[in-house]
Amino acid sequence: MALTITCPICGKRNGYEFRFGGEEKGPRPEEKDLTPQAWCDYVHMNKCVAGVQEEWWFHKDGCGSWFKILRDTTTNLEQAAGEAAK
Amino acid sequence: MNRLSQLPTLKIDTTQKLAFTYKEKTYFGAKGDTIASALFANGVRIFGRSLKYHRPRGLYSLDGECSNTCMEVDGVPNVRCENTSLEDGMIIKEQNVKGSAEYDMMGFLDKMDWAMPAGFYYNVMHKPAKIWPLAMKQIRKAAGLGKIAPDHEIPGKYDEIFLNTDVCVIGGGPAGMTAALAAAQKGLRVILMESRPWLGGCFEYRSREYQSRQTLHDRAVQLAKEVEKTENIRLFTHTSAVGTYNNNLVTGFQIGKKEDIFDQRYVEIRANSVISAAGAIERPLLFDNNERPGVMQAACALRLAKTYGQLPGKKAVFSVGHDFGLEAAIELHDLGLAIACVTDIREDGQNLELVKKIRNRKIPLLKGWVATKAHGMKTVKKISISTLDGQISKTFACDVIVASAGFTPVTGHITVNQGTLKYDSHTGAFLPDQMPEKMHAAGRVLGLEDPKSIEVSGKLAGLKAAFDCENCSIQELGDAKKELEALPGPARGSKLVTAPVKGRKTFICFDEDATIKNIKQAIEKGFDVPELIKRFTATGLGPGQGGIPGHNLPLFVAKYQALPDISIRPTNVRPPLVPTLIATYAGANHKMFKTTPMDEMQRKDGGIFRNIGVWQRARYFSNDFSSRKEIENVRNNVGMLDASTLGKFRIHGPDALKALQRVFVSDMSRVKQGRVKYSAMCNDDGCVIDDGVVIKQGENDYYFTTSTGRAGQTIEWIRYHTRYDGWDFALVNLTDSMGVINLSGPNARKVMEKVVDIDISNEGFGFAEYKTFNIADTIPVRAMRLGFVGELSYELHVPASYMKAVWIMLKDAGKEFNIRNFGVEAQNVLRMEKCHIILGQESEQRTNLLDVGLGFLWDRSKADAKTVGAVALRQAENDQTRFKLVGFKMENNGRAPRDGALVVDDKVRGYIATARDSFSLNEAVGMALVEAPLSKIGTRLEIFEDECGDDRIYGKVVAMPFYDPEGNRMKM
Amino acid sequence: MFFKNKPMWGKKTKLKSSYDVVIIGGGLHSLATAYYLSKEHGITDIAIIEKNYIGFGGAGRNTAIVRANQRTRYNVPLYKEALDLWPVLTKELDYNLMFNNCGNLNLMHSEAAMKAARMTIATAQFHGVESHLIDAKQAKELVPALNISEDITFPIHGAMFHPPGGVVRHDAVVWGLAKGCAKNGVQIHQQTEALDIGTRNGKVTSVTTSRGTINTKQVLISAGGYSAALIYDMLGIKLPISVLTIQAMVTQPLKPVLDHVVSSGAYHCYANQTLKGEIATGAHMDPWPNYTTLNTAHYIKHQAEALSEFLPCLRGVRFMRIWGGLADMTPDMAPIMDGNDQVEGFFMDCGWGYFGFKSCSAVGKYMAQFMAGNECPGMLKPFNLNRYQEHKLMGETAALVNYSPDN
Repeated sequence: MALTITCPICGKRNGYEFRFGGEEKGPRPEEKDLTPQAWCDYVHMNKCVAGVQEEWWFHKDGCGSWFKILRDTTTNLEQAAGEAAK
Repeated sequence: MNRLSQLPTLKIDTTQKLAFTYKEKTYFGAKGDTIASALFANGVRIFGRSLKYHRPRGLYSLDGECSNTCMEVDGVPNVRCENTSLEDGMIIKEQNVKGSAEYDMMGFLDKMDWAMPAGFYYNVMHKPAKIWPLAMKQIRKAAGLGKIAPDHEIPGKYDEIFLNTDVCVIGGGPAGMTAALAAAQKGLRVILMESRPWLGGCFEYRSREYQSRQTLHDRAVQLAKEVEKTENIRLFTHTSAVGTYNNNLVTGFQIGKKEDIFDQRYVEIRANSVISAAGAIERPLLFDNNERPGVMQAACALRLAKTYGQLPGKKAVFSVGHDFGLEAAIELHDLGLAIACVTDIREDGQNLELVKKIRNRKIPLLKGWVATKAHGMKTVKKISISTLDGQISKTFACDVIVASAGFTPVTGHITVNQGTLKYDSHTGAFLPDQMPEKMHAAGRVLGLEDPKSIEVSGKLAGLKAAFDCENCSIQELGDAKKELEALPGPARGSKLVTAPVKGRKTFICFDEDATIKNIKQAIEKGFDVPELIKRFTATGLGPGQGGIPGHNLPLFVAKYQALPDISIRPTNVRPPLVPTLIATYAGANHKMFKTTPMDEMQRKDGGIFRNIGVWQRARYFSNDFSSRKEIENVRNNVGMLDASTLGKFRIHGPDALKALQRVFVSDMSRVKQGRVKYSAMCNDDGCVIDDGVVIKQGENDYYFTTSTGRAGQTIEWIRYHTRYDGWDFALVNLTDSMGVINLSGPNARKVMEKVVDIDISNEGFGFAEYKTFNIADTIPVRAMRLGFVGELSYELHVPASYMKAVWIMLKDAGKEFNIRNFGVEAQNVLRMEKCHIILGQESEQRTNLLDVGLGFLWDRSKADAKTVGAVALRQAENDQTRFKLVGFKMENNGRAPRDGALVVDDKVRGYIATARDSFSLNEAVGMALVEAPLSKIGTRLEIFEDECGDDRIYGKVVAMPFYDPEGNRMKM
Repeated sequence: MFFKNKPMWGKKTKLKSSYDVVIIGGGLHSLATAYYLSKEHGITDIAIIEKNYIGFGGAGRNTAIVRANQRTRYNVPLYKEALDLWPVLTKELDYNLMFNNCGNLNLMHSEAAMKAARMTIATAQFHGVESHLIDAKQAKELVPALNISEDITFPIHGAMFHPPGGVVRHDAVVWGLAKGCAKNGVQIHQQTEALDIGTRNGKVTSVTTSRGTINTKQVLISAGGYSAALIYDMLGIKLPISVLTIQAMVTQPLKPVLDHVVSSGAYHCYANQTLKGEIATGAHMDPWPNYTTLNTAHYIKHQAEALSEFLPCLRGVRFMRIWGGLADMTPDMAPIMDGNDQVEGFFMDCGWGYFGFKSCSAVGKYMAQFMAGNECPGMLKPFNLNRYQEHKLMGETAALVNYSPDN
C-alpha cells in the first residue's frame, strides 16, 4: 500500500506526512449527567468499521491542520464525500 | 569453448576476456557474459545442489526463476548467476554442497525421499522430547542455501533515488517500448524500467520475421533506438521493478554501470499511471527428473545461443507445448544443434509454416507426445517420451532436453497492487481480470504472442495511461482498441498439467524440492487450498519467488481434486518480486538526529553525547558517569547546561487563553504579567503527558515550554483538542529557533551580573519571575528564574543564532568562579534530590497527575469536561489501588538500589523510578512508584533487584523533597 | 510408507443446527480454547466457524516468537505458563511444534532503556522467569553478527537476555491444535462465515452463519484483528481497539548465522533465523487503522536500514518475501478477555495486538476454564474490559503508545 491523503489545504500528499487522529466521534461531551461509561466511550471506544469511515487526520509534515476525510479501511483509499453517501 | 560469432543478437564481446575464480581455479569469460553463461562456456553443467535432496541442478530458465544457479559471489550468498553480469576478478563458489556440486557427499539424500514426505518434520523428531534439540541442530545445518560470515561486509556503493513521473512503464520489451513511445508522444514524462541491461524483451533474441526483410531482432533494435532518442522517456535499464503499491508507487533496484557512482540503487517512483508490460516466463513441464541439468526451457536454450553464443549441448530433444518451442528448435537447428526429435504436447493447432520448416529440416515431429523422464545420474543422457495417455513410449539419447509446457504471464506487478487474475481456459494461463486503478497491462502479460498484437497492445496501454493523465481523447483510445481487435488474440495454450508419470521425482518446485507426490500427500492430509499446500510443502517459498511452481501448483491442485476451471485460483505473490539485497533497500541510509546550537562547543568541552528522542545531547562531561564533579559544582559553585531541546512555543490570538485552558490543568487566566507559571497537561485518562512553564508576554500572547520528548506533538495536541471549537489562535513552534542555557548554582548571579545590565538582585528579579532584555544592546534574551535543580538558577532563552555568543560570554564571565558544564545526568540527579519529576522517568503511561503528586496544579473550578484530563482525574481521585510517587531513603545508610528495581512483598507492588547515592545529602535517596497503601511516610519498602536472588534491601518512605525542603536555595 | 495420509482435522462435516459452544474465528486462540474445553472440561460439542481456512489470519502471519519477559505482574505469569506449555503440547498433540528455545535478546540503546529493561528483568526474575541484563560485549558474544560500535544511529548499550524464549513453528501450532480438536470431537468449519449473533433477554441464543443458523448458549469471538469489527457489528459493543497492519518479511535461506531472536525497540526491528534458514524480521506498524494486510515500500526499506546498522552482515543478504497481518491494538498494549458481562453467554478474547501467538496456549486454557465454569479465572481478571472505564490502564508499556490520538 502507498497511502495518500488529501489535505484540504495542501492537496493530495504521501500518507506518511500525516498522523491519524481517530474515528469521528463529535465534540467533547457536555458536563451534565456525564457517566464514566459515556466518558470512556468517548475517549477510548471505537467502532472499528471495516468499510468507509469518517475520521480525523493531522498534516504533521505540512500545514498543521486537522481535518476529516472518508476512507475505506478495507482498501486504504479515500472516498469523495458523495461516494460514501451512496 | 568456441562461441558462435557473427550473430547480430550477441551481447558478448569475445575479444574482451574477463578472468574469474571458480573452485579456486581461474577461468575466463567474455565481456557481456553473465556469471552463468561464463561458467557454462567453461563446461560447468552442475551449478549447485538442491535444498533437501542435494540433487544436481543446472541452467534452467536463464532468468533466475529458481535457485538452481544461485551461487556465492565474492562472499555474497544466493547470487542469481543467470542475471548477474560477470565482472573481472569475481570469486565464485557453489552452494549447499559437501564436497563439490559435481561430487556431493550428501547426494545419497536423493534416495531418501520416501522418508521425507510432505511435512514429515511435523511428525517426527519430537519423540522422545530429548532428541528434538539434537535434531534441530542437524536441521539447521542442513537447511539454508548460501552462507554469510557474521563479520561480512558487502563491498560497493548503494544509493537511492525518488522520482515523480506521469507514466511508469514496467518492462522494456516490444509492448513496453511501444507503450512508452505512445505516452511520450502525448507529451508526458515517462519512465521505462527494464530488468535486463538492454531493451528488446522477447523480440531481442529472435530471428523470426516481423515483417518483410525485418526480423524480430531488427524490430527490437529499431524500437530501442526510438525510445533512446525520445527526450521525455527516462530509461532505467538493468532495473527490476520489485514492488507496486496503490496510488501507483513503484519500487525497484538498478544495477549500476561501470561509470555510475553506485553499484546498486534503490528506485522509488510515484507515477500517475503505470503500465505493466513485464512479459511472460515459461510454464515448466512436469515429468520425472524434470530438473536434471541438461533440461532447460525453450527461451533458455535459444538465448544461450543467440545472446551468449553457446549451443546448449550436442544433441537435443524438444518437448514443448507452443509455437515458440518449434521456432526455437528451428533456430537452434540452423545454428548447429542436432535435434533428435521434437515432441509437441498439442495434437494440432501448430503454426503450419513452422511445422513445414521443421519437416524441411528432417527433424522428426511428434504431435501429442510428451517427455516422461530424463535419464542420467548427474546430467541428461537420455530421454523417455510417450503419448499423452502414456500408452506408447520411446527413448532417445540426448544431452539436452528443451522442455516447456506453456507461458506464464508475469502478473506480479498487478497482483501485489491488488489487481486480480482469472484463469483463462483458452490460454490455460492466469490473465489480468480487474486491474488496479490507473494501471494497464500490455503485451504477453495479456497472453498475446503475435508480435504485432503485442505492439498494438502496448500502444493502447500507452494511450490509456495518457488518458489517465488527461492527455488523450476517448476517440483515440477507441481507434487503438479497434486496431488491436483486428489482430490475432492470445494463442490457445496446452492443457497438459503433468506428463503421465507417478510423480515421485517430478518436481513442481525446484527451490524446495517439492514433488507432485508431495502435493498429493498434502491434499490427502486436508490441505486442500493451494495457499495452504504452499505453506505445508513450502512450494514456491524459495529464492525463486514462486516463478517455477506459481502456475503449475494451482493447476495441479485443481486437476487432482477434479475441480472446475472456475475455482482455479493462483497463490499469492509477494514483493519483492525479485530478491533484493538489504544493502540496496537501505540505500544511502541517512542518520538523522537534531543537534543544538551548542553541539560543537560541548563536544570540544569533552561532552559525551547520547541520543535522547530526536536530539543528541551531552549526558556527561567526564568518564565518571556518576557525574560527581558536575553535580558538586552546581551545588557549591555554578554550572551551565544546554537545555535547548526544551519545547518552546508561542500561542497568540483572541482565543489563545481558551486553548491554554483546554489543555493545561491549571487556571491559565491566572498567569500574571512578569511571572512564570508551572503547569501540566494530561490526556483524557488523566495521565500526565507534559509539563512546562507558561508566561504571558502580552495581551492574548503567551510563551510556553514543553518537555523535550513531547515538543514534536504539542501543536498537534492543542489543535486536536480544540478542533471542534473554531477558536482563533496561532501557534508557533520556536523549539529549533530558540536555544536555552540553564545557569545554576550559588554563584549564578555573580556570573549573570557580569553579562547583563539589568537589576538582577533577588529584589529586582525574584524567583519565578522573568525578564526580557538585551545583552550588549543587541542580543534579545528572555531570562526566567526557575529551580529545577534546586539552586539559584537562570534559564536564558536566546535566539539560536546568538546562542554561541551568549554561551561564550557566560563562560568567560564564569571563569573566575570555575564555571563548568553539566550534562543531562547531573541534572537528573540534582532534580531528583529536589524530587522534581521528569515525565517518563517518574511516570509511565498509566500514571495520572494525582499519582505523581502534582494534584495542586489542577484547578477544580474549571469545567471538567472542557479541560482535557479533568473528568478522569475526578473519577479516579479516590482510587486506592493506583500507584503513587513516593520519596525514600535507604535503611542503615545502604547503597541506592538500581533504577528499575522492584518494590515487593509477595507480589510486585511498585518499582524504583530514580535512586542515587546522593553526594549532596551523603545518603542514598530516590523516588519510587508504589501502590497507594505503601505510600505513607515511614512505610518500609522491600526492594528486589535483578540478580538479587533471595537477598533484599530495604528503604523507608520519607517526605519529599530531600534537598533543601524549604526551597531557600533556589529563592536566594 | 509409514506416514498415513488422512485428513488431519477430520472430514468435512455438515453444520449441525445446535452446539453447546460456538467459536468464531479459526485462529490459535479459538483452536486452543476449543482444545482445552474438549480436553479438560468435557465440552466437545463445539463448532469453530472460520471464514477462510484455519490459520488464515495472524496465526499464519506472525513471526513465531515466544517469550515471557513481559512488563507487569499480570502479564508475566500468563506468558510464563504459555511458554511452559510448548513442550507439553508437542507431546499431547503428538505433533512437532518445533519449539526452538534459542533465547531472546532485546537490545537496549540508552541508559533510560537499560533502566526500563532492569525493571522488566527484575519482574521476570521475581516470577521465576529467567532473564538477565547483559552489556554490549556480552551481547556480541552471543550474537557475533551484532554491530556494537558507537558509529550507528542507536549504539547498543546492552541487552535483555531471556534464555527460555525462542521460536515456535506457528503453522504447526495451528495444525497440531486442529488435529487435537478434531480428535476430541470438535468440528472445524472452514469457508463458513459468521454473520450474526442472536440474543434474547440479554442472553446469547444463536449464531447465524453463511451455512445456516446454529442454536447455542455460548459464543466466543476470538477472531484476531477482525474481532472488534465483528463484536460491534453483531452486538453493538464498542471496544478500545485500533486495528493496524503489521508487516514481516524473510530473506533468502542461509546456513546458520543467527542463533537467537534479536530485537530492538529503537530500531523497530526484530530478527531471527528460522529452522529453514531464512532471517525473519519485522515489527513496524503503519499507524492508521485498516484491514488491508498490505505491505508498504516504506517499511521494507526501513527494515533494511535498521538491519544494515545493527546486523550489518545481512546487507549481503536478499529479502525474498514481505507480508502483512492485522494487529488489534489497545491503548495499553494488553488484551481484552471478558465474558458474560454485556451479554450472558458471550465471551471475547481480543486486543492482543502482536502478542496473540505467544499467549495462545495459556489463554486457551483459561478461556476454556472461564467458559466452562462461567466465572472469570483470577489469571484473566486484570484483562477485563472495565479497566478502561476505571482509568486503570495495564502498564504493559511504559512509554505512551503512539497510534491513537488518546495520548
